[in-house]
Amino acid sequence: MPEKLLRLSRCGGDPATIHRRRMANKSINWMIQLRRMMSISQIGPDKHQRDDTWSRLLEQVGQARDEQAFAKLFAHFAPLIKGFCLGNLNSNFPADAAEEVVQEVMFKVWQKAPSYDATKAAASTWVYTVMRNCRIDLMRRNKRTPTDKDGIDIDDIWDEADDDQAFVYLQQSSNEALIDRSFTQLPPEQRQVLTQVYMQGKTHQQISDETGLPLGTVKSRVRIGLKKMQTLIVGAEKAAEKNRESWQ
Amino acid sequence: MITHHPDDNLLTEYSSGSLANALGVIVCAHLQTCPHCRKRVELLNKLGAAILTQSVAEVVQPQTLEQLMMRIRSQPAAAAASDKPSNSHELHPTYARDPLLKHVPKVIAKLLPRDGTLKWERVSGSLKTARLKTGQNQYEVAFQCISSGGKVVEHDHRGVEVTMVLCGSFSDEDGVYNQGDFLVRNPGEVHRPTATQNQDCLCISVVAAPVKVTGIFGKLVNPFLSFRPA
Repeated sequence: MPEKLLRLSRCGGDPATIHRRRMANKSINWMIQLRRMMSISQIGPDKHQRDDTWSRLLEQVGQARDEQAFAKLFAHFAPLIKGFCLGNLNSNFPADAAEEVVQEVMFKVWQKAPSYDATKAAASTWVYTVMRNCRIDLMRRNKRTPTDKDGIDIDDIWDEADDDQAFVYLQQSSNEALIDRSFTQLPPEQRQVLTQVYMQGKTHQQISDETGLPLGTVKSRVRIGLKKMQTLIVGAEKAAEKNRESWQ
Repeated sequence: MITHHPDDNLLTEYSSGSLANALGVIVCAHLQTCPHCRKRVELLNKLGAAILTQSVAEVVQPQTLEQLMMRIRSQPAAAAASDKPSNSHELHPTYARDPLLKHVPKVIAKLLPRDGTLKWERVSGSLKTARLKTGQNQYEVAFQCISSGGKVVEHDHRGVEVTMVLCGSFSDEDGVYNQGDFLVRNPGEVHRPTATQNQDCLCISVVAAPVKVTGIFGKLVNPFLSFRPA
């Protein structure tokens, strides 16, 4: 039997073996190609390049003051900002006020765009923080007493980045798509309380007062929700890592 | 090494923009010194973005963009450029020379009176305080400076008290707190902070203000009701 095999391999062998060998070669080629593709696709995250449309448009607005790019961003984000302001029965914003907020937020987006750095945040996260600060400013301006003029700027308080100390961004925290997905996987009561915290900009105490839920319950739902998201994200990241390693 | 951090609830309130200004200031001061919590907030901000992008899109009136573009075009280019005049947050020479103040986080530097006239008031032999203005009346924000090895009189808290160590370190019954550490004390939690021997300790504290008497009478009486924890 071994003799026969040896002979076959030397002189090309029977058609079935040749076919098998070809198939094996093909699949090796395919694997090499795939690995090459994988390594190319890894250049992106390593260099912190973002390829989502909105981040690129926002960079154009910031660097080239591109009005057309801005109009595209407006078409995407303005309806979402309005929906966010009106969402969840938010009594703080009647519809016409929401329209004003939209204009104010997008005005700030235009103004601040030159400071946008795609290596540090995706456009959606950056727009979210601009919107948040804008809302704090608008809500507090209504409540301010005349003596408050010497108060500190909202943008100085809600500015956790310390550009002076330039912490190296060694590793981006998890990507937006994963966070998005893990949030939708939360049980409804956790998702709801987080939505309330963010959409209505209310403290845990205010939510407790309004919903009648004990403060401890509100707090633990937020905490457990975040922890669960973390677990889902870490799990997905590990799976992705494993997938990548198996090709290397 | 920072070992005491704000909890997830407080960071979520920060990221969602619901914290009162005074608490926002002290959380921000911590974030500007703590990469660990910064990363946490970065994640929470992405959650905010997720909730924003999952919102139900509402039709925006067609003229809104037009109005906005007119507003943008009417902005003189120079005004847009000088939008960040506060960028030059150079410390007043008086603070820059002060070993306790020269390295305070950016957000704290903004609270210092620009003319260099930070007013210290002596509370006891080892404790002096200086009040800071944050443009609100819910919380009292102040520097607390304990001289090296000094003990602060034992005290309770009438409202929640949040403290962050800006320079030096102190200890109490529960532990040692170093630069950047962040503590929350609730009413009923009695403690007696003591600064470490080798160095004065500077903290910033945010305390829920005591019951306020309003009106003109209140303006006269409130200074005497003020509450100055360590």
